[in-house]
Amino acid sequence: MPFSDSPSPVAPLPSSRLWTASTTGGVAVVIMLLLAAARPDMAAWLLVGAAIVALVTWLGSRPVDRAVTVLGPAIAAAETPAGLGDNRLLDAVFEALDDPVMIIAGGEADDIAGRRIILANRAARDLLRIPRAGSLLVSAMRDPGVLEAVDEALFGGLGRTTDYTAAGARERHWKAWVRPLEASPGGGRTAILGLRDETDVRRMELMRVDFLANASHELRTPLASLSGFIETLKGHARDDSVARDRFLDIMAAQAERMSRLVADLLSLSRIELNEHIPPSGRLDVARAASDVVDAISVLSQDKGVTVLLDVPPLEARIAGDRDEIVQVIQNLTDNAIKYSAVGGLVELSVRSDLDTEAAAAPRLPGAARLSLLTPDRDATARYVAVTVRDYGPGMAREHLPRLTERFYRVEGQKSGDRPGTGLGLAIVKHIVNRHRGGLMVESAPGEGSLLVAYFPQLDAAPAIEAAA
Amino acid sequence: MNQHTVKAYGDELNQLTAEVARMGGLAEAQVADAVESVARRDIALARAVVDRDFKLDAMHRDIEKKAIRLIALRQPVASDLRKTLSAMKLSVDLERTGDLAKNIAKRALSLAETEPMQPLTRSIERMGKLVSTRLRDVLDAYTASEIDLAVAVWQSDDEVDEHYNALFRELLTYMMGDPRTISACTHLLFMAKNLERIGDHATNIAEVIHYEITGDELIGDRPRGAPSDADTAPGMGQTPLQPH
Repeated sequence: MPFSDSPSPVAPLPSSRLWTASTTGGVAVVIMLLLAAARPDMAAWLLVGAAIVALVTWLGSRPVDRAVTVLGPAIAAAETPAGLGDNRLLDAVFEALDDPVMIIAGGEADDIAGRRIILANRAARDLLRIPRAGSLLVSAMRDPGVLEAVDEALFGGLGRTTDYTAAGARERHWKAWVRPLEASPGGGRTAILGLRDETDVRRMELMRVDFLANASHELRTPLASLSGFIETLKGHARDDSVARDRFLDIMAAQAERMSRLVADLLSLSRIELNEHIPPSGRLDVARAASDVVDAISVLSQDKGVTVLLDVPPLEARIAGDRDEIVQVIQNLTDNAIKYSAVGGLVELSVRSDLDTEAAAAPRLPGAARLSLLTPDRDATARYVAVTVRDYGPGMAREHLPRLTERFYRVEGQKSGDRPGTGLGLAIVKHIVNRHRGGLMVESAPGEGSLLVAYFPQLDAAPAIEAAA
Repeated sequence: MNQHTVKAYGDELNQLTAEVARMGGLAEAQVADAVESVARRDIALARAVVDRDFKLDAMHRDIEKKAIRLIALRQPVASDLRKTLSAMKLSVDLERTGDLAKNIAKRALSLAETEPMQPLTRSIERMGKLVSTRLRDVLDAYTASEIDLAVAVWQSDDEVDEHYNALFRELLTYMMGDPRTISACTHLLFMAKNLERIGDHATNIAEVIHYEITGDELIGDRPRGAPSDADTAPGMGQTPLQPH
């Protein structure tokens, strides 16, 4: 095209040295010097003028030179591989952050579908289950408080902090903070959204409240009966040795019950506190089950109850805290023995490699059935199931939903001379939940009951990690 | 510059589903906050729930308008039509859910004036958690178009019913034991009923999602243990209602 050429053949090229400031200055100085030679009467003034022009030209060209010398190395450095490495480092740092962080692009103010997560680190992708390519903000986080805060950051330019609760089997509480980012070169508005885990703080608070409420309420009754007996012993039963012995026995039983209650409450609180932290150990459930059977043989022999153990030939390994899993099996078996008739039978079995459906499948035909705890859905997971079956009185359907409630007791049932604390199944439920497992009960009056606790099997774990 | 005024058809559809997801988030928060206001006797929170309900109504109207506009102007067919229709249906369910949550919050206000009833409000809280989880799952299924999750929610509807029945018995026992608690217990009873109906709406939503994705209705028996099926569906719901 002709327009790309210089418009006039006479005009110098833009790059011509003729147009630089120093050349112009130089020409002016030369002209002044020539004039000074021609007109000696004005020579002094012309020489001063030439000197000023020369000085100004030199000053004018000097800063440009300096800028070039300073910027030069910087530009050169940015283009070297070391500079690229810095960007990669930033990416890696962003990716490795422990807290979920996302960059959100705005779109238009009235279009909710315009808010997109354009960048999310690994923690955020795992928490919100969003793909690497990003997603609509509203599909990932629906919380109205968070959406409002994001809108305010994007279109009001104000940062805000709000609460965000990720419900689920294990509830987690987050502080969500949003800050507007400077407009990107493309002109779109962006904001940064970060989450900070505050589950521990909230749980601590809740635990303290719960513990106080439960302890004060449940300890009041045995405490009242203790002080009643003490009063009687100080009064008219002082010299009655038969009554005294009987009272002291009852008092000892009450004191023992109180200490068991406190121990159970403490262990429940501890488990609740850790519920959102996945257990780190590994264990073989079959081995744990046979250990439990050994440990409770005294109790079962006392009552004349036979405990039948049925474990698979292969190891049934799960990721879990050994003590806690033992406590689950022990509490379930304890309960079964307690509610069995003298000379009865309790079956304890461990099955491995079950899929979600098989783990929660009905096992007692004709019985009422309820899932007390359902793990978050994961189609690929395999489960190890611990099943405890007793042939005791069983329970009617209406009691099932409340079984894992603290201190809940099925009316009209005697659990023998060693009454439990009413916390056994609550503890079981919280432990199973911590292990990402499920709990199911089946029972019918007169038919006995069956409880199943199932945990994700360890062999399946690599597959899950690969998928994530 | 034109893309801002004349949006692509696909964008309009996406916007509709995004609006429904946002409405779902608000409905979820309303239910959770209403239950929390009962558990903590938090009057300010209960008032906030009541005051926020109008937003859900406005969203409902807005989604309906947008859906009608889309049908009129774009004549969607097949899955696009199902998407549009289900957005309309879901907004109705979510709006009803919001109304029920508002009702719970209103009752929480009058409950806060009476004596605290720890064990009972705990039961309500537990049932509220369960219902909230179902609502969350079903909305997750909607945003992710995960049919399995929707069907799982649909199949586990009996859990909420069981909780409702257990709570019913618990309340009856309290009222018989101490007639002074009757007015408070009645409030709690209605709250439980409202929660149970929110659970039903979650089931409805699951059905709509199934229809949206597959084009087939989700009908027939919920596949569970055969015998328990017989005595839950209508029978179990009736038993507590019979006078003693």
